[in-house]
Amino acid sequence: METGRQGTTLFSGICLLIGLLLISQLWLLAAALDAALSGQARLAIPASIASAALFAVNAGLLWYVIDFDRRRRRVDPNA
Amino acid sequence: MSDAPRWKQDFPILWDEDHYVTRRELAKFLTLGSGTIVAATVGVAAIGDRLRPQGKMEPMRIEGADTLERGGSLLFRYPTGADPCILLRLADGRLAAYSQVCTHLSCAVVHEPAADELYCPCHEGHFDCADGRPTAGPPTRRLPRVLLAETARGVFALGVEV
Repeated sequence: METGRQGTTLFSGICLLIGLLLISQLWLLAAALDAALSGQARLAIPASIASAALFAVNAGLLWYVIDFDRRRRRVDPNA
Repeated sequence: MSDAPRWKQDFPILWDEDHYVTRRELAKFLTLGSGTIVAATVGVAAIGDRLRPQGKMEPMRIEGADTLERGGSLLFRYPTGADPCILLRLADGRLAAYSQVCTHLSCAVVHEPAADELYCPCHEGHFDCADGRPTAGPPTRRLPRVLLAETARGVFALGVEV
């Protein structure tokens, strides 16, 4: 049974994980921009793919959050 | 489902419930930011080479370059009046010219003849006079090089190689 307390702890961990992946994406963006300005624009393509993969992981985590919230409401309609 | 409207559910009275809502919303906000960064990275990959100065550049005579002595430097603007450049007569007599805009944070680099280098005073960046590569400090990219031609009519800037 999903509870609000469980959700708060779980969401804290998920937020931390998403934040870490977001920082990795920022690093990829900076590296892609630097490569493009150095005349090596093709290096931005693998950076884009890696960034999209990280986004997919983040979207999966968010989907889990939304699904958890939905299940919690189903168990406790007053939540 | 609860009879209470959704907006009421998202503004709970109890702290525990409030933490639940704010962290859920933070996860959504961070994921939105993640998507924005993907769009920006894809944008950089898509426009790629267009971030660099391109297009045909008109040759331009650099006034005073003929009389430049070894170890000396001369400031000029190329290809437009908004693009400061620096021309150097190296110790071996060769001419070299670079953009004067530091590749770190766009401060103006200056010639240091004693050290035979280009120096950015903002963040202690150093560049090699011979090829414009960074030798010390925060810059990681070399200075854009101005292509030159020495003719009987003078020294001409022909283009910029990033």
